[in-house]
Amino acid sequence: MTYRVNSPNVISETVGGETIIVNLASGHYFSLQGSAVEVWQGIERGEAAETIVLELEQRYEAGDGEIDAAVRKLLEDFVAAELLVVEGNGAGDAAAAAPPRESGERVPFVAPSFSTFTDMQDIILLDPVHEVDTRGWPHASADA
Amino acid sequence: MPLPTPETANGALDTSVEELASSFSRAARAAGVVERSIRIGDSPVRLRFAGDTLAEELGYAFGHLADESGDEPALTIHAWDSEDSGTPPPPLPSLAPGSPRGSIVYTADEGRHFASRPALGQLSAYDRATARAWFWCRSAQELPFWEPAAPFRQILHWWLPDRGALLLHGAAVGREDGGVLLVGAGGSGKSTSALSCLASDLLYAGDDYVAVELEPSPRVLSLFCSGKLAPDHSRLLSHLPSPSFAGDGALEEKSVFYVAERFPERMCRGFPLRAIVAPRVQGTEPRISERGPAQVLAALAPSTLLQLVPARQEALSAMAGLLTSIPAFGLDVGGPTERIPPALERLLDDLPS
Repeated sequence: MTYRVNSPNVISETVGGETIIVNLASGHYFSLQGSAVEVWQGIERGEAAETIVLELEQRYEAGDGEIDAAVRKLLEDFVAAELLVVEGNGAGDAAAAAPPRESGERVPFVAPSFSTFTDMQDIILLDPVHEVDTRGWPHASADA
Repeated sequence: MPLPTPETANGALDTSVEELASSFSRAARAAGVVERSIRIGDSPVRLRFAGDTLAEELGYAFGHLADESGDEPALTIHAWDSEDSGTPPPPLPSLAPGSPRGSIVYTADEGRHFASRPALGQLSAYDRATARAWFWCRSAQELPFWEPAAPFRQILHWWLPDRGALLLHGAAVGREDGGVLLVGAGGSGKSTSALSCLASDLLYAGDDYVAVELEPSPRVLSLFCSGKLAPDHSRLLSHLPSPSFAGDGALEEKSVFYVAERFPERMCRGFPLRAIVAPRVQGTEPRISERGPAQVLAALAPSTLLQLVPARQEALSAMAGLLTSIPAFGLDVGGPTERIPPALERLLDDLPS
């Protein structure tokens, strides 16, 4: 499954190991920590979900299917929050794109999580922005 | 929400720019021109008002930035209203029936921005190539209380990036050699903290919006000499004078103070930015603690980006960049307000110069 960031309504930045995402359409914003950041960055790189799962399985110790289930749940949540849009159902070339298994020791997997903040949504409800094409801007009529 | 198709449109913002220039000229002929020269950071800015009423309403917040250098302006803002000048409004976009009164219609092409709140009778525009901007309102007397307190925010949001700076939602207090940016959504304690510093030796650069110049090193640039507080919060700060505008808390209005009136020696044009601090109303004693840059970005970015158009990735990236170069802190401000300034002064003392 492939996804893309729902831009331009969704913007994000990663700083200090956390990702802040702002949904400009809803006024909601989000804070991602831990493996959620890695999932988001994988999507930003255009990777399929399957590739992201393989990458995480290289780095983390987890039970069978645990990482796959956690990533799919996270991506579903991101789609529900309109942060991501489903782009395609194919797995792409996930296996080919997966990096070789790292020889270093893997650390225990912690399920990705994120926090949602809705305290700014009133701005969007009270002052919604309608962005129009320049052709949509009115002019004075000739006899004005 | 889909917008109705305008009755007349040819897609050319150059026509729109000339229509605004003509509208202002008509208003200026009718009401007379009042000019004010100010300086934001190193940039001279000329404010040209059609008529005294709007000049008094919207010029007052820039009083501390007066500039007598006579330098060629880097930006000229033309402001007029239809009521005082007796001129017809410029063409405004339509809104779909039932749209909220604050609805904003925005369009842009390369270097030109237009934004209107048709229901409130306001329009702002900026033309980068000629460094001209326009602000029109239906009536200077009917402007909501926040406009005279922080005029031309939308125009400054478009223009400041061309000068290597950002308009940020935040307060700023400090000393000549450096200060802090206080960031957070409404109710976080940002304004209370900034205005509490008027009872100390700290300088005041703004309580709601300031500019931050990014290069060569971050620097706060003061924009407005106003301060806004919820009416019940202003009672916490006994050193404040009676507000110039007494807000009605039941209407969610804030009271507006003009700091330059009562504390002219405390107003400043800016200072080097040394820390970004996110207050929150918590605890019984002002307390400063280290805070992760992402937490402070979450306090700064949404409240800035969601109040101005356009909100773009570039602005968020610039804010994140700022937080990688400037230390970030939290500030609990639940205790006595007179203890906030010493806490900030101690922070400034402890920061490496």
